[in-house]
Amino acid sequence: MRYVHLYFTCIKRSMISRLEYKKDTIVALFSFFFSNLCSLAAIYFILQAIPALSGYSLPEVGFFYGFSMLPISLDHLFSDEFWLVAYRRVKDGDMDMHFLRPVPVMFQVFAETFQPEGFGELILGVALITVCALNLTVNVTFGAIVVLCVGAVFGAIIITSLKVAMSALAFIFKRSGPLLQVIYNFSSYAKYPLAIYPGLIRALLIFVLPFGLFISLPVDTLLYGKYNPWLLSLAIIGCAAVFFALATWIWTICERRYESTGS
Amino acid sequence: MIEVNDLTKVFRKPIRGNGLSGMVKTLFSRKYDEVRAVDGISFSVPDGEIVGYIGANGAGKSTTIKMMCGILTPTSGTVLIDGVEPYRKRRQVAQHIGVVFGQKTQLWWDIPLIESFKVLKEIYQVSDADYRERMDFLGEVLDITRFLSQPVRTLSLGERMRADLAASMLHNPRILFLDEPTIGMDVLVKEKIRLAIRALNKTYGTSVVLTTHDMTDIENLCSRIILLEKGSILYDGPLKSLKTRFGNIKTLTLTVPADIHAETAPVLSPEVAVSEEDGRLLLRFDADKIALEQVVQYAFRDLRAMDMKIAEISIGDVVKTILEQQEAEHAEKV
Ligand SMILES: Nc1ncnc2c1ncn2[C@@H]1O[C@H](COP(=O)(O)OP(=O)(O)OP(=O)(O)O)[C@@H](O)[C@H]1O
Ligand SMILES: [Mg+2]
Repeated sequence: MRYVHLYFTCIKRSMISRLEYKKDTIVALFSFFFSNLCSLAAIYFILQAIPALSGYSLPEVGFFYGFSMLPISLDHLFSDEFWLVAYRRVKDGDMDMHFLRPVPVMFQVFAETFQPEGFGELILGVALITVCALNLTVNVTFGAIVVLCVGAVFGAIIITSLKVAMSALAFIFKRSGPLLQVIYNFSSYAKYPLAIYPGLIRALLIFVLPFGLFISLPVDTLLYGKYNPWLLSLAIIGCAAVFFALATWIWTICERRYESTGS
Repeated sequence: MIEVNDLTKVFRKPIRGNGLSGMVKTLFSRKYDEVRAVDGISFSVPDGEIVGYIGANGAGKSTTIKMMCGILTPTSGTVLIDGVEPYRKRRQVAQHIGVVFGQKTQLWWDIPLIESFKVLKEIYQVSDADYRERMDFLGEVLDITRFLSQPVRTLSLGERMRADLAASMLHNPRILFLDEPTIGMDVLVKEKIRLAIRALNKTYGTSVVLTTHDMTDIENLCSRIILLEKGSILYDGPLKSLKTRFGNIKTLTLTVPADIHAETAPVLSPEVAVSEEDGRLLLRFDADKIALEQVVQYAFRDLRAMDMKIAEISIGDVVKTILEQQEAEHAEKV
């Protein structure tokens, strides 16, 4: 409970920081609407640009693409600061302040930034899957809805966990940004139906870097009823729990190796 | 209470070659350079004491402080803050210590100072009543009220340092670690900061560990100093005894007639070293070996002094002398 309150206090702080540079509220409002307008326009162009793939129709591919944006944007909302940790902050010795406060360092990094831009992507993703779903004849079941929600939310937790674990390596190697980037880029593979990939990559995307598990499989469940939604939900939640526990553990181990800088 | 026991920190740096080929080699070599930044030091600081932690650049002062406040994990040895190791129970210790690094701010750069304080209030769980009391106290002793609503990035160095000090004291820490809190300050701000540290120490009994290169800070604040050199302690004890380490050295500065020079002046005793500086004569001697009275008489009678200033050796001179001796010994060994 204390941490929820603290989180909101810190987020408020992060918002004030942003507004310092955007004092003019009208400009701020305008840019918010404008960027979302652009997002909607982007949907149109994305649908134009995505090639129809081996037997998948355009709306189907669009649905995969749109759904992949949900966990990615949720992750973007809450954990953007880890990029800075991985690329810069550990190397520059800029983490000292977090080590001095009576709150877990990892929590402080989460609370350091809240990225409202994530909302734009979220809206874009939802709009995209809505448009695509209207152009498809799908039998929407309750289970499928649940597994999609689970995929989005717990998928975000899995992405965040990967981010935490990779950026924690910066405590040992000083800079782990490029590594984080490589891992993160795998999410773009999961923007397309898994079936288009050879078996090895498919296995990799389900069992190792499970972007496929929480993006492609839930969509397969909705569109084609391929998997049992309840079992799949369970698998995703379990996977997220394991990933998050592992990430926290790795972070705690690595955190002790922090060396700061000489001056 | 701080207890430091056989504390050591070794930094390992890969040995780097020069140029591109050197860098490629670095990638594949497993050779490391070891820097023993802190090398087996032990001391303890009782509650309510102000300790000056001094030494040359690179002596290992900041590294020690970082281990004492939980940023760095020691390579070996232990630190206990009220019986708890800060790098193991970081959060528990953090609640009771305050830290300022002169070169780095811990405040958020682009929000008004008061907002930073509000966040810190939540982080340290300071009650509303305590918060108000502290803000009144700090506002007064550090004079920060005037710029509370300004973003930190717009503050001058001196204002920012005072803000940082206030932030470190907000949760009423039992121990304060200050790493060069007067770096780059003008004399007035320095004085303000010293007063604040003294007021805090008096009012709340806060212990303070202070590193600085300004010996005036030390003479004004610390009853005890720890002198560090190349990661080892050279001296740990009262300020007074360090001063008399080379005897009770005094310097007389004399204004003398133009025909009196250091080389040709009559000699009183080999105990008195005579030198010349800016047309003035300097007499340096150990007042325990030769009476001050005798030297003063000699100055007026034999040197026909027209004006005189008596000074004790400054702590800066002592430290300088010790470090120079140390370096000379080092050079001999090599
Ligand atoms: N993060 C680090 N990584 C590698 N070496 C370091 C690191 N921090 C300090 N050192 C080395 O440890 C030694 C001691 O540094 P430290 O910062 O403790 O000195 P200091 O006494 O605070 O000096 P100063 O008066 O210049 O601040 C230096 O030789 C420095 O190069
Ligand atoms: Mg230092």
